[in-house]
Amino acid sequence: MADLKILAVDDSPTMRRIIINTLKRAGYSDVVEATDGKDALAKMKVEQPNFIITDWNMPEMDGLTFVTTIRSTDEYKNLPVLMVTTRSVKDDIVDAMKAGVNSYIVKPFTPETLKAKIDQILAG
Amino acid sequence: MSADTSLNAKIQKEVAELSQSIFTLMEGFRQLRDPLAESREKVPQATSQLDKISEQTEAATQRMLDTVEQITQREEEVIADATSIKEQIEAGDHNAPLAIADDIIQKANVNLNDAFMIMDSLQFQDITAQQMDHAASLLEDIEAKLHDIMACMGEAGEEEMPGPGPKRDRAYDPHADLFDKKTNQEDIDSLFAETDK
Repeated sequence: MADLKILAVDDSPTMRRIIINTLKRAGYSDVVEATDGKDALAKMKVEQPNFIITDWNMPEMDGLTFVTTIRSTDEYKNLPVLMVTTRSVKDDIVDAMKAGVNSYIVKPFTPETLKAKIDQILAG
Repeated sequence: MSADTSLNAKIQKEVAELSQSIFTLMEGFRQLRDPLAESREKVPQATSQLDKISEQTEAATQRMLDTVEQITQREEEVIADATSIKEQIEAGDHNAPLAIADDIIQKANVNLNDAFMIMDSLQFQDITAQQMDHAASLLEDIEAKLHDIMACMGEAGEEEMPGPGPKRDRAYDPHADLFDKKTNQEDIDSLFAETDK
């Protein structure tokens, strides 16, 4: 947990603050943020996170394209990705799975669910 | 005979022009039909979306207010407890305040949890923002269709008529909802578990 660096990607500043505060409360204090997929790709080069939490609906580059993009690279193909989005239609969830997300949470989420999914992904 | 021929030709020309006018009018109506039907469909969608935003914002705000009222009540009790501790220490009683201090710690912990609960509740902002983007997108479509209709009808002063503004690139989930999740977390987890097998 100590060396876990999480990148939180969401276009909503409110959601980013909520996610960061929830993560800090759960013991994950090393969190960097990005406003969309394009910004996240740039931040990843600099920050080298080892866990991604991403929204789906974002301008410039949406979460699905972002996940597809990182999964196509050798560097990030195994990077843990948790999608946190409002999209709750089953077909969307299946699309996210196909893109390569490790787990999926629908907003609004509880802190317990967020922590449980992170722990579950990290446990492999 | 020649006069009849001339009259016939004139009538034929008038009929042809009338026919062309009717055809143009019908074509105009046909062009109007689609944007009108689309606008008629989108107005209730936008209205429904705005109603949903209003209801969900109200519900989320009420929930937060309930929690704030509970925090305020506990804070008043904490102030009373702290005042009591001060009075007891001033009176030379150094043991009684310990029990009150435990009570203060307990209330402060409950308040901390409630404060986090309010923060979690603020997720409604992201959801209603997406609902508003959806409604705004529908209204932009209606505006564009109405502009097309006015242009099609050859509205006087059309040149001065302001056109619809550029459509903003909006990233939103049209089904975003604070309470209605189409798939619950257990079913999502089952989908992932099936894939892992």
